[in-house]
Order: sequence, then C-alpha cells, then structure tokens
Amino acid sequence: MFCNENNFQSPSPSSSPKAKRFKMDSGDAIRTAGNLKSNDDEPNVADLEGEPEDSNVSTEQPPAVELQLLPPIKYEYLDHTADVQIHAWGENLGEAFEQCAMGMFAYITDMDRVDNFGSEQIEATGHDMLSLLYGFLDEWLFLFNAEPYFVARKINITSFDRDNFKISAVGYGETFDLRKHTQGTEVKAITYSNMQFHEKDNYAEVFVIIDI
Amino acid sequence: MVVRSYNDELQYLEKLSENSWRIKKGFQPNMNVEGIFYVNKQLEKLMFDELRNACRPGAVGGFLPGMKQIANVAALPGIVGRSVGLPDVHSGYGFAIGNMAAFDYDDPLSVVSPGGVGFDINCGVRLLRTNLFAKDVIPVKEELAQSLFDHIPVGVGSKGIIPMTAKDLEEALEMGMDWSLREGYIWAEDKEHCEEYGRMLQADPSKVSSRAKKRGLPQLGTLGAGNHYAEIQVVSEIYDVWAARKMGIEEKGQVCVMIHSGSRGFGHQVATDALLAMEKAMKRDNIETNDRQLACARIKSQEGQDYLKAMAAAANFAWVNRSSMTFLSRQAFSKQFNMSPDDLDMHVIYDVSHNIAKIEQHIVDGKQKTLLVHRKGSTRAFPPHHPLIPVDYQLTGQPVLIGGTMGTCSYVLTGTEQGMQETFGSTCHGAGRALSRAKSRRNLDFKDVLSKLQQQGISIRVASPKLVMEEAPESYKNVTDVVDTCHAAGISKKCIQLKPIAVIKG
Repeated sequence: MFCNENNFQSPSPSSSPKAKRFKMDSGDAIRTAGNLKSNDDEPNVADLEGEPEDSNVSTEQPPAVELQLLPPIKYEYLDHTADVQIHAWGENLGEAFEQCAMGMFAYITDMDRVDNFGSEQIEATGHDMLSLLYGFLDEWLFLFNAEPYFVARKINITSFDRDNFKISAVGYGETFDLRKHTQGTEVKAITYSNMQFHEKDNYAEVFVIIDI
Repeated sequence: MVVRSYNDELQYLEKLSENSWRIKKGFQPNMNVEGIFYVNKQLEKLMFDELRNACRPGAVGGFLPGMKQIANVAALPGIVGRSVGLPDVHSGYGFAIGNMAAFDYDDPLSVVSPGGVGFDINCGVRLLRTNLFAKDVIPVKEELAQSLFDHIPVGVGSKGIIPMTAKDLEEALEMGMDWSLREGYIWAEDKEHCEEYGRMLQADPSKVSSRAKKRGLPQLGTLGAGNHYAEIQVVSEIYDVWAARKMGIEEKGQVCVMIHSGSRGFGHQVATDALLAMEKAMKRDNIETNDRQLACARIKSQEGQDYLKAMAAAANFAWVNRSSMTFLSRQAFSKQFNMSPDDLDMHVIYDVSHNIAKIEQHIVDGKQKTLLVHRKGSTRAFPPHHPLIPVDYQLTGQPVLIGGTMGTCSYVLTGTEQGMQETFGSTCHGAGRALSRAKSRRNLDFKDVLSKLQQQGISIRVASPKLVMEEAPESYKNVTDVVDTCHAAGISKKCIQLKPIAVIKG
C-alpha cells in the first residue's frame, strides 16, 4: 500500500494544466505504467524515450543471448555514514573489479528481476590502478544513467592490460524498465574516498565508496 | 592519514565554547589554517565516536572521520579563516558533509575543489507556502499525497515528463530559471526568492561534456532518490512572528510544500568529469592534498575556470529541476482543491543551495576580500541588509531552509551578522546522518518504520522500500539538536518549525 510495486491506486487527474506550452496531462501515465496497468486512455503522454506505451513485459522477445549463470556473490556493503562502501573480492584483481561493478548494480535494483536479454561492452582506461577502477565503474554507471539505461547482472572482463591500465569488459543484462524492475537506491557517482585495492597470492580485494 | 591512538588525537582538539571545538594544526599534515566545528552535547558524542572508530592502526578498508576531513580541507592551498564543520557535520568523501571553506580568489595558488561542492551540484531545498490550513488538507491528505506522487517522477531510473529536447537543455543550462519562466513553468516572482535569482551567470554549457548532457536530459524534472523528497508540511511552531510574517507565514497550521532535490545525473557527471581532469592538473601544478578525493585545481587555471563554468551550468540545471517540480506540485494542489495556484497563494518562500561554490565578498582580518566559498552540505545564511538577498528579506535576513528527515520536522532559520563573521555566512543544511546506510538496513524493518510514520499521521509514498530503512528518522541525527546548536552558537536564528503530514520519496 505504500510502495509503487504494491497495489496502490492511481487517481486520474483530469483538469488540464494552466501553463502555456505544456503539452501533456500529468505524471500519472508514467506511474500507472510502473504498475503494469494499461494506459491507453492517456493519449497525451509525453514519453521522452519514445518507447511504445503499450509494450508489455510478458510479451518481450525471447532472449537472443545465451543465458548466463550468475557468478557467486563476492561483494558486501560496509558501514559508511553517508554513502555505501562496497567491499569486493576474488581470485584476482579482475574478478574483484567485476564483483565490485555487480555489487553496484545490485544496490540500484534487485538482481533477481534482471534477465540477460542483451549485452553491452565497455572500455575503460586510467593512469594507475585506482583511476582504472574508477573509470571502469563510471562506464557502467553511465550505461545505466543514459541511453541504453542498461543493468548488468553479470560482468566479464575480457582483457585486463595492467601495463597500460586498460580494461575491456562485457556485461550481460537488459534495459532498466520501471514496469519490471524494482527501484533500489540511486548511485550518484563513484568516489576516490579511501579507495583501496590489495593483492595477495590468489586473492584480491577492492574497497570503493559510492555516493548515494 | 596519520594514525595515532585516540588519546593522542584528543591532544589536537580543544573545546572553545559550549557549542564549538577547535582542531589544531598538526591533526592532519600540512594544515594551513585551523579547523572549527559546532556541536552540542549529543552531537559531540557522535563526532567523537566516529573518530574513535577510525583509530585502529593497520586496519584495512574503513573511512575517514568527519574531523579528519575538516582538517584535510584546512590543508588545501589558499584557504582563509578556518575550515568549518557545521553542527550536522559527518564523514563524506573529500570534504566532510556539513563543511564549508573559503579560498582567496586573488591568491594565484588558491584552489577550487569539486569535492568541496559534492557530486550533487546545487542540491537544495525550496519551500512553497499555501493559504491552506491543516484542517483543509488533512481530510484529503491521502489523495493529495498520491496525486503529488503521480505528478512528480521519483526514484532511481525514473524519467522526466516535462518535454525536453537537446536544444532545450542547452538553453536551460545557460538560462536557469529564466528558461523556466520563458517556457511558462514558473512565476516571475519565483526568481526573486531564489539564491542568485535562479541563474548563475558564469554558466557555459560548452564546458560540459556530452556525457553529462546525456545523463541530464532524461532526468530533468525528476526528484531522484536517496535523501531527496517532496513533503507537505504544516507550520508547527513560530519563533519569530515578525520574520515569519515577512515570509507569508501568518499562524500555526498553515500548509507548505518542501522540495529537496538537486542536479541529478547531470551534476554528478560534471563533478566526475572535473575530478578526473583535475587529477591531471594536480600532477602538472604539483598540488599535494591529503586525500585523493580532494582533487582540486588552481582557481585561475584552465581546469579551475572550466569547472566553475560547468558547475554553474549544473546549478542552473538544478534550479530548472526544482522549478519543474514546483510547477507539478502547483498542478497537483490546483487539481485537488479546484483552485488556481494563484488563488492558493502558492508562492516560493525561498530556495537555498547546500552544495555549491560561490564567489562572494567577505571581510577577512578587517579587509574586504573576494573569496571562493565552498559549501558542501552547508547553507548560505546572509544577515539582514546584505545586498545579495531579496528586498522582501532585507530586514529579516536571508531565509535558510533546513530539511529534516521524514517523520521529524524541518526548520526555517534566518541569517545573522555573527554567522557572517564566524562562518562566512554559512549554517547547517539538515539533520546529517548518524547511522550508516548498511546499518540502517540491518537494524530496521521497513514495516516498523512505515507503521510508526502512520501513527504520527504521516502519509508516505516511496518508490523503494529499502530506502525507507536507510532514510528512517532513526538513521539521522536529531535535526532539532542541529538547529538548536546553530541558534545557540548564533550563526543563524530560528524562525519557523514545520512538521510533515505527507512524504514523497524515491
């Protein structure tokens, strides 16, 4: 009754707004769409993304990409007063980086509802290991925040050039859709604040504070 | 970070008065000036706990306590006066949150730091008044809360509903609220009651990356998530009847709307871009800081000037954003009560920025100086007669809007002459976190939090249930302690207290 994923009812505001040049009726349609309701009776919606309003999640095309098994979770969220500190680890630095990015996505939305209907590739560069980690996470965050609004449930680093600080990676997931996915917490940015990486034989870990 | 035992650290701290502590040089390396922070007894304990937790030599992970961050800021080149921690100060990244610092604009070595503004550039609070009273609104509270929630896009991944093209965005970045006015979303009077009149003139959209514009375009006119909110509030206390009347607040029970939001993904990306550019500039100019997140550049350098122009564009974005939501709120009220927003007297009381850097004139050691004042989680609070505050508030001092947490209360303060002298006309910005987000998630149950709010008569609409725990009043410092400390320390003066009756959140 309190959350938009639950059964709230949406009244339909009807009177038209007063201001000039304002073309649509209200935010109502977006919210009903979030509730898997049809909004055919709201013709004047300004849809910035130009998505078809009547598309339904259940009739989505079958996945074109082979289903990816979710890797084991090797990240946790540590206490930080204002923000969130992600602690991620793995057998090598590459795995710790991958886990860190997956940990970031898992804070944004519930991973159980994300399918891998598509994939996206990123390239990140830096001038040292920490700036590389920063750039790597920032690329993923950007893919979520702008076209194609992509959420990755699994991330693979395909090449990790430690000498020139370059990473190529591919993420499997899909476009974020309010009609299907839950809204977790928004990640504003990656921070350098006390960012750390540690490497030992067969073990690596990273600490990253993300701004919430 | 210098790691010493807790008792050794205490040697560097000295209690100055009932409400303030001094941080001496040497607490962190290379401090150019001293630090000061304002606390009362309860807040003091939280600050010292944070320090004690960090005093674990050899530990991996962790984060810097707020006091250390205030001291790190005191080590930046060109800082004047003191590095100031306001009563809501807590650990952030780079600067503490609730930290202000001023830099001599004419000193060629002085720096500007995106960390001193924060990622959410021009995050701020706006307060609208109405001529409605609690008795008018409470019977339709649920409908009104739902209507606001339907009108304002909230939460992670939500997109704006105000039609915008890439060209519109360029114009909005340059013009700020003048754009909103031209497009018919706001009233001309709104601008008057806004810091900088809703438009920073040095804004230059060509200094903004296309990445930032891509992130910003779909998000204009959205509330966001985290601590952002829109609330319907009722005036619960008036401390200064005369100043309140100047703001159009006549008596207890009057209904207001508070909007807390910022520059969304646009500002976040501008800050990220600047951080990366400045890292390079620091190497070139041999600038050393104690913390990598304190990346900075000389004010007069290309990077410094570019950042100030891009930051101003982000500030304009934030004003347009809050203006768009002002428009949507006015529509929601207008539909509910079947009256025009004009007839409901839905004027903007004021609009403050609490994450910003501004060029201001201040008196330092008896001389007038041009300073670049960074306020991160800190609100400008100019005294009466200051030329930069609107004519309506010339005699009262600038209204300062302090957003509380959902379920507690919010305040309107006014600026004071003492604040102008001690803290460069700055005061607190909100409650400030006490519990970490992870701890809130572990310790609180969202159903408990919701039912508690319901018992208090607060309707809530929220996009993410997890956020309810993170943003629960228990996770924050007591906003009343924070405001009382500001009042007692004389850096601003209490005017109005407001209690929420409906909360809309990401």
